[in-house]
Amino acid sequence: MRQFCLISLRLILFLLTPVVLCAQEVLEGKTINEATGEVVPFVNVIEKGTTNGTTSDFDGNYSISVASLPTTLVFSYLGFETQEIRVTSNSPMTIQFVQSSATLDEVVVTGLATSVKRANAANAVSSLSASEISGRTPPPTLDGALYGKFAGATVSANSGAPGGGLSVKLRGATSIQGNTQPLYIIDGVYIDNSSIAAGLNIVSAAAAGGSASNQDNPSNRIADINPEDIANIEILKGASAAAIYGSRAAAGVVIITTKKGKAGETIFNFSQATGWTEVNNLLGLRDYNEQRVRDSFGDDAAVSFLEAQQEGRLVDYEKEIFGEKGLISITNFSMSGGSEKTRFYTGITHNDEEGIVKGTGYKKTSLRLNLDHRPTDFIKLGLSSSYAHSSANRGFFNNDNSGTTIGVTLTGTTPWLELFPNEDGVYPDNPAGASNPLQTRDQVRNNETVNRFIVGGTANVDLYTAESSNLELILRGGLDFYGLKTRAIFPKSLQFQKPSNGGLNGVAVQGDTQNKNYNLSAFLVHNYFTGNDLNFRTQAGVTRENFDRNTQLISATGLVASETNVDQAANTGVNQTRLLQEDSGFFVQEEVNFQDKVIATVGLRGDKSSNNGDANELYYYPKASVAVNLNEFGFWNENSPWSQFKLRAAYGEAGNFPPFGALFTSYNTFSTDGLLGISLIGVRGDRDLESERQKELEFGTDVSFFNNRLNFSATYYIKTIENLILQASLEPSTGFTSEFVNAGELRNRGIELTLDAVPVATEDFTWNLGVNFYKNTSEITRLDVDPFNIGAFGATLGTFRIEEGSSATQIVGIGPNPGENGFQKFGDAEPDFQMGFNSQLIYKNFDLSFVWQWKNGGENVNLTTLLTDLNGTSHDYDTVDLDPDGQVGNGPYRVSQLGSSAEVFVEDASYLRMRELGLYYNIPAEVYDDFLNGSIDNIKLGFSGTNLINIFDYNSYDPEVSNFGANGIFTGVDVTPFPSSKRFLFHLAVNF
Amino acid sequence: MMKNTLTKIFILFFLISGFQACDVEEFSDLNNPEVDAFRDNLTRGDLQDLVGGVLYSMRVRLGTYYDDLGVIGREYWRFSSSDPRFTADLLGKENAVLDNNTFYITNPWAARYRTVKNVNLILEFIDGQDVSAQFTDLEISATKGFLKTVKAYELLLNLNLTYQNGIRVDVADENNLGPFLGYDAALSAIRALLDEAAADLQNGGDSYPFTLTSGFAGFSSPGSFLEANKAIAARVAAYQEDFPAVLDYLEDSFLTLDASMLDEGIYYNFSADQTDILNPMFFPVEASTAGARIVQPDFVTDAEEGDERLNKIAQRSESLTFDFLTGDYAVFRYTSNIDAIPIIRNEELILLYAEANIYQNPSEAVAALNLIRNSAGLDDYDGDSSEASLIDEMLMQRRYSLFAEGHRWLDVRRYDRLDELPIDREGDDVFEQFPIPLTENQ
Repeated sequence: MRQFCLISLRLILFLLTPVVLCAQEVLEGKTINEATGEVVPFVNVIEKGTTNGTTSDFDGNYSISVASLPTTLVFSYLGFETQEIRVTSNSPMTIQFVQSSATLDEVVVTGLATSVKRANAANAVSSLSASEISGRTPPPTLDGALYGKFAGATVSANSGAPGGGLSVKLRGATSIQGNTQPLYIIDGVYIDNSSIAAGLNIVSAAAAGGSASNQDNPSNRIADINPEDIANIEILKGASAAAIYGSRAAAGVVIITTKKGKAGETIFNFSQATGWTEVNNLLGLRDYNEQRVRDSFGDDAAVSFLEAQQEGRLVDYEKEIFGEKGLISITNFSMSGGSEKTRFYTGITHNDEEGIVKGTGYKKTSLRLNLDHRPTDFIKLGLSSSYAHSSANRGFFNNDNSGTTIGVTLTGTTPWLELFPNEDGVYPDNPAGASNPLQTRDQVRNNETVNRFIVGGTANVDLYTAESSNLELILRGGLDFYGLKTRAIFPKSLQFQKPSNGGLNGVAVQGDTQNKNYNLSAFLVHNYFTGNDLNFRTQAGVTRENFDRNTQLISATGLVASETNVDQAANTGVNQTRLLQEDSGFFVQEEVNFQDKVIATVGLRGDKSSNNGDANELYYYPKASVAVNLNEFGFWNENSPWSQFKLRAAYGEAGNFPPFGALFTSYNTFSTDGLLGISLIGVRGDRDLESERQKELEFGTDVSFFNNRLNFSATYYIKTIENLILQASLEPSTGFTSEFVNAGELRNRGIELTLDAVPVATEDFTWNLGVNFYKNTSEITRLDVDPFNIGAFGATLGTFRIEEGSSATQIVGIGPNPGENGFQKFGDAEPDFQMGFNSQLIYKNFDLSFVWQWKNGGENVNLTTLLTDLNGTSHDYDTVDLDPDGQVGNGPYRVSQLGSSAEVFVEDASYLRMRELGLYYNIPAEVYDDFLNGSIDNIKLGFSGTNLINIFDYNSYDPEVSNFGANGIFTGVDVTPFPSSKRFLFHLAVNF
Repeated sequence: MMKNTLTKIFILFFLISGFQACDVEEFSDLNNPEVDAFRDNLTRGDLQDLVGGVLYSMRVRLGTYYDDLGVIGREYWRFSSSDPRFTADLLGKENAVLDNNTFYITNPWAARYRTVKNVNLILEFIDGQDVSAQFTDLEISATKGFLKTVKAYELLLNLNLTYQNGIRVDVADENNLGPFLGYDAALSAIRALLDEAAADLQNGGDSYPFTLTSGFAGFSSPGSFLEANKAIAARVAAYQEDFPAVLDYLEDSFLTLDASMLDEGIYYNFSADQTDILNPMFFPVEASTAGARIVQPDFVTDAEEGDERLNKIAQRSESLTFDFLTGDYAVFRYTSNIDAIPIIRNEELILLYAEANIYQNPSEAVAALNLIRNSAGLDDYDGDSSEASLIDEMLMQRRYSLFAEGHRWLDVRRYDRLDELPIDREGDDVFEQFPIPLTENQ
């Protein structure tokens, strides 16, 4: 028996001997993500100290032969921490990969289908994580989460009206007439971010005479995206990073990724935030006395003033209108989990937010379902879907020419007026103005209701895998569909609707917009690894996008009884606007990575679009970049404080379409006493108009010390916009007042500095700190048409001026010392610089974090003050500190400047704000361990706020304002906006 | 096996989407008719729409035009709490001057040239293609006569604003605009254009190939419209101080020396239809400072007792103050927001007849002035019949008869009497003319 055993052993040894002699041991295993249980494919596996290596396949399986055991294997993969594992036996291993937490190891997008480890990126791509987006305090809208958190953006709210309305500009003004707002892409779906006017102009007459300028103050549709659903945002700030998105990318691209489920235990998350919002700043009352009232308002008013004063019924109407505390409630419930094959994330969020004006507010319910499924080991399918329903009551504010908006009316409303309704609810007419602001507030409704579906799907297919190369196919499709209803109701009982006051006897404006965008794309990605660590990644693909929007606006005047249906009216008018665009293109890119030392990329996007003069001409957008990681060359020894030292440079081009309709010279349809007619639109189009082309060169360095605890990044960029599309003035005697032309060149140069540090990191106490600095200057470097004024309300009141050699955003006006062009320069809308500070302090169970934002410099055209001056109601009307002679009060002084100098209307709009504050307490686990069988994982309580501290010296509600909405460069015009507000919220969050 | 099949399916998808991506559709203007669409195939329906557009654009920014003339001519003040420039710039408050890039000149100026362009395009369409299948020669001639008359009138309104600064007359080629002509040259050109239009109208047969609005009632055929053309020419001749020609033109115009026919003439119409314009010269009597026209007080105090033309103003229940100006009366020339505004009417023709006769036949001038006086409830003129006195009287009657119709400022300017207009606030100025808009690049 024993004999037999020995023989058998010898036999086995004999059989094995050749293996041992020729090589040896075959080690097998699988690479998976420790957090998700998901496979991590294409991991580099190298036997330490040798050139012997391989890569795990699409399923994470690897197999490597080693000469002898024991040995050490090094596993490395982009975005994960590199692991060295001592192997003593040849039993199969599962290598658990940990996603790198340090920012340097995040991945950033570089291709349409691929990403790269941040340490290897050649662009300054900013990213925000979920905790930065909504972890501190839930932002009112998604774009509101971008304030102050990274360098290179100018984020500005158009007004404080509930439901959003923000402008985001990346690296300065990228266009004058065209789009300046970044392209938003959520899980691969192109998102519409339009602002669609509700047709209030029929009442406000703000753009009297059919001017195209939109002063309706609509919200922008990015507001429909629920910040709670977002896992990560990446911001491609200019063409050098965004060239892969081609002809729509000149204003930058914001790439949003939503949360995904993880394999394992199902996690439930419930959170409730409750609080209130209140106005940031009121203008305040003028210091009235009998003499002042008599001088400014006449003898009758003085009598009324004294009477009201004696009866103690002087009313601060501004406070009456804007003094409300609006309640806020945000409820969120989410659930995620799944198996290795199928994972899910689903969530529902309900926001109910009142505004600071009675009757205004915002409600939104959003649902999300994200699914990831692996039907076989070589296919991965993903679905991202969301539905949102929102309703915003935005009130009636901003500029008008009819004295009807609440804001304009308030400028002429004095405290002795009696405007409250009587017992029967009947509002008295305002003797001092065209409208009674209390009645307007209580009876006018201006509502936007949105129903929106966004659905995106992806499929990743592993077509081919071999030892040194693999080929992957990626298919993507996305659909963004929404219906927007706008309803503006002005009942006939309103003072300014009464025919005896020249009113239209009631107005109902109903708008209906259907928007459908879809995009499809397909890519092939090929990876090729050579023996000496030279990796090639090739990708090629095609894209197609389709945009279809149809807006119908019905306005009815002369309403019947209390009907608001548009057919129950004496007169109705219909306006339809259609927008159709088809784009298609291709994309190729080659990346070469030499041992993470040198990473070079070249790429080309070709695009055609129905929005170009020649729809089937391809426009090409190239890109190229290189990053050199000096730290990888072994100049420093292992114990050096240097963790990273990277030099990088990137170049890219991107396009910006002409504004829709700019290709055509057309008539519009009107009538004269029932006789139909067509009259020219005053803007001459151009069939041969070309897209704007942005060329951006950026270079910079990323340096890290002490194991990435101190990171510094500096970037300098030059971006030139060629073929600048201008709506240049045309001699009005041509019959047109302006024309669209490619007629100039605009250059932006700027610097972005970012410092991140973790000064303290102990078990009990962690302190994170981030500072960013951003400065941009623009210049019109070439102008082929005569210089022209644009935006705002003319030179008397301060206007923008496009002039060769000057900043694109300069503000000029008439003045005592005009330059050669006849105007005096009074300012520039561009800030001198912007800084953001953020910090997080974690002490045991307490977590305190905040974000400050400082905008230094940049001027506004403030006409709110002028309107109060003209009505004698300015809070500083009698203060004497403006008049150089020290004679007259500020009010009369400013009025006296009207027509001779615009200087007093151009005001510094600097501010320093505490944008966000969050203070949270994690209740220790032992407190709730015994509840519900111990199934509660975490309970968090907290307080947070938005805009809690606002420091500015600006003579209106808020320096952050735009009467003309988000687009163009002409933001910062202030005409009685909806005032900005701050938010206070209390939080409870439970994970179980 | 399964792997292969699936792979094939995906490759198929890939190819399909690649093929799909190739072609992009080209769209025309989805929302509006394009100009070029009329160059090859002008139909009768098209012409009707295009002429309708001319009638529309003639009225755009008319309110601003009348306010420019009415405010500078000190007929009334225009209050606008959201736009202070009506009471600052137009009245020359303190240092304020008329700006060359502000709405009060740029908007009406551009609107008139818009109409001129609408007209020029139609003339281009007619001349640039064979339209004989659609229209007779008579119809073409009638159309040209009508359009040229409108064009001349529109140019005249702009010239009224810029006066000696002049206007461009030849603007048919938008890429090669004609020069600015001074006041006298521009008036001659306008008169020549009117004469050309008159010749076209004379050869224009009995009817237009389009219909006009009710404001042209009685003048809706080429023959009758010729009388309106002559009336406008009479006004132009008066501005030229060519008084014999004024009388000649009036002879062929619709002038009727009949006090019951003062409102005979051609009019702009307005309606509350959404695509139409409301009468911009109407404000309710009790309007607030948001938008009001308050009568300059001298209009009331200077009036002869019993002058019924004071019915063009209405006393407010309370006075209205804005920008240190206070008045008790509102302009009430039009009593609703859909009243028609005259382009030219018989009362003006009678006054032109009187004016021209001051230099030709003073007794006929007095007779005409008396006709106007009597119609306003006043007794016959009892002053002397010296030229100077008659001019005073004629200007006085024009001031009241044509109140708020855009004549007063032009009249005092013609007779070099701008310095006689009242100054309401210390430091105010009376301007003589508007600057040429900045964007004309002059």
